[in-house]
Amino acid sequence: MSKFWILVTQLYKQKIKTKSFILSILLYVAVISCVMFWSDIKAALFSEEPVKIAMVNETEQDFKPLFKSDKDMKFNFTDQSRAEVEKKVKNGKYDAAVFLTSKNKQMEAEIATFEPLEYNDQTALSGMIQYAGRIYAVQQLNLTSDQAAQILDANTTIISKNLDKQKGTGKSEDEKSAGIGVSILIGSIVYSFVISFLSMITTDVASEKGSRVLEVMLASIKPSTHFLAKITGTYLLALTQLIVLIVVQVALFLVVDGGSKWDKVTNTIDHLSSTYILYTIAYLLLSIFLFLIMGALFGSLVSKVEEASQAMMPAMLMGMAGFYILMSGLFSPDTMLVKVSSYIPFMTVMVMPLRISATDLSPMEPLIALIILIVTVIVLFYISFSFYKRSVLTYSSGGMMQKIKTVLKVTT
Amino acid sequence: MALKIDHVTKKYQNFTAVNQLSFTIEKGEIFGLIGQNGAGKTTTFRMILDLQETTEGNISWNDIPINKVNRDVLGYLPEERGIFPSMTVEDQLYFFGVLRGRGKKDLKQDVDYWIERFELVDKRKAKAETLSKGNQQKVQLIASFIHQPEFLILDEPFSGLDPVNRELLMDAILYLKEKGTTILFSSHQMANVEELCDHLCILKRGVSLFTGSLKDLKEQYGKKKLSIRTDLTEKELHMLEGVKNVKKTRDGYTLTLEDETYGKQLFEQISRGQYMDKFSMDYLTLDEIFKDLVGGIVV
Repeated sequence: MSKFWILVTQLYKQKIKTKSFILSILLYVAVISCVMFWSDIKAALFSEEPVKIAMVNETEQDFKPLFKSDKDMKFNFTDQSRAEVEKKVKNGKYDAAVFLTSKNKQMEAEIATFEPLEYNDQTALSGMIQYAGRIYAVQQLNLTSDQAAQILDANTTIISKNLDKQKGTGKSEDEKSAGIGVSILIGSIVYSFVISFLSMITTDVASEKGSRVLEVMLASIKPSTHFLAKITGTYLLALTQLIVLIVVQVALFLVVDGGSKWDKVTNTIDHLSSTYILYTIAYLLLSIFLFLIMGALFGSLVSKVEEASQAMMPAMLMGMAGFYILMSGLFSPDTMLVKVSSYIPFMTVMVMPLRISATDLSPMEPLIALIILIVTVIVLFYISFSFYKRSVLTYSSGGMMQKIKTVLKVTT
Repeated sequence: MALKIDHVTKKYQNFTAVNQLSFTIEKGEIFGLIGQNGAGKTTTFRMILDLQETTEGNISWNDIPINKVNRDVLGYLPEERGIFPSMTVEDQLYFFGVLRGRGKKDLKQDVDYWIERFELVDKRKAKAETLSKGNQQKVQLIASFIHQPEFLILDEPFSGLDPVNRELLMDAILYLKEKGTTILFSSHQMANVEELCDHLCILKRGVSLFTGSLKDLKEQYGKKKLSIRTDLTEKELHMLEGVKNVKKTRDGYTLTLEDETYGKQLFEQISRGQYMDKFSMDYLTLDEIFKDLVGGIVV
């Protein structure tokens, strides 16, 4: 076995057995499962009573068909006086009371509570009242029931057509919403994934350098071999974690609840274009490599392991910026900030998949971002490769700029 | 000769770390490279290990330029200790052995031998971070030569060791010498250098002040140390011609002479024809020579 593979094997074997590596896989599985199985978990853990709502209807309109009880809310229409109902709300017999009145042919509603309703219940109840209010207003116009239904059920069909042939036909709303959903999930995972492996390689190199074990190793191997071995070993660990994560997650989806969740997953994937999937995989694999190169370089600059977190800060900030831009892009994926950052190599993996999925962009744009990413990886690799040889045995105090200056003085 | 350092200079922009350094080490010899902190020892070691390039001059091993030498023939123990904290003693030794070209099966006998010799049998499966500083040093020393290098560089191998472990390491180094390993060695403890080294080089700010055998160095300095027991006072002894320094000791005085030729004259002046129960002229110790040569301290 060559020295390169001896180092890669040693790193891989050492790290794969660590508690932090195993725990991080479990944590990812737990978070994804929580998101995917949230409704089941909620149902299993919290057997919530429906919210009891007293309905006091002081209009002449019958609203009973609109306020139907379900597992979340139980409506009780009553003829009791306002004071009596409010007393029952105070006593806890009802969670809320809704008083419906009429004023100038418009409906007015008052929701009385003693303990504020939960946000979801409040929103759902408000939505129902709004709908009832529209019906009430329509009824006041003395329309026929068909006419009223036509107004209330009016639904405009919107078809997107792009005259730029390069961009092809626009994406459907389903495709866009599936893409946005997947982009949030993947963006969040990629962010934590990239940051954790950036941290792993920076700390590892810094620790070996700080403990001087690197100096011992460099007596028998070239710094370039060490640099490559660190990146390869950590990259293999990242791929291992990714594969384990996918396998465990797929197995969970297939096994739990008769595979109903797996159907949802495949349904979502069906809405994603193959371009989206291929570009996302390519961006992910290249970005991990990019962040690992940065991590190894930053680790080689510090003199002791305690300085590692300070050293990796610039790369972490880039990743963090990409993540926040992704979040801002969920509501407006067409802003200039999102467009520009999707071409910045450290952010492409998080931002460009969102643009591919949520906007109708030219096929050239993701390709250009990919080319920029590949060129950056190559250039950064060669710069780091040359820098690492000098920085790895240079010990200096001061900030990062001072350390870089010191390394540049060393002429190997 | 095995190692040849030929007019080697190392410059970092305006700073010269090593200046025109030359020496040779014969096969199977222990050579001492001594100097104060910052004298250029570690830079010299790194150039020998091809971790840094020379600005001028050449380094060769068995007449092969050092950058073309198979690195597995070299072993290195750096001044600041470096081992993997979370790796066990045994794994550590196997890792470094395999990394430097030996097979795992082939290593077993040597790993067992050195673990036993350094009294680490019960620590074999212990993680390095749980060991005492002395034991960590032992592990690192074994790791530096477990691959049976032809040439071994030991940078301060005894620092922080208790006398028992120091003796253990000393024996191991002599054992390696017997086996034919060429050793370049640095230490601030001159007694160790005196005990181990055949030849040495004294560095000051990157420049060699002396290169040669310990015997030659001592003879070059001469018998300048005079130990006496006398009724004369320290002040009176200072007044005598040829006396450079006077130090009161537990049972008399130690005088440092400007030259050993003053010995006879001083004997006559101090004894005044009377019996003296102590008048002994000796070579300076390496420690004393080093202080005089490097630090300019009158001993």
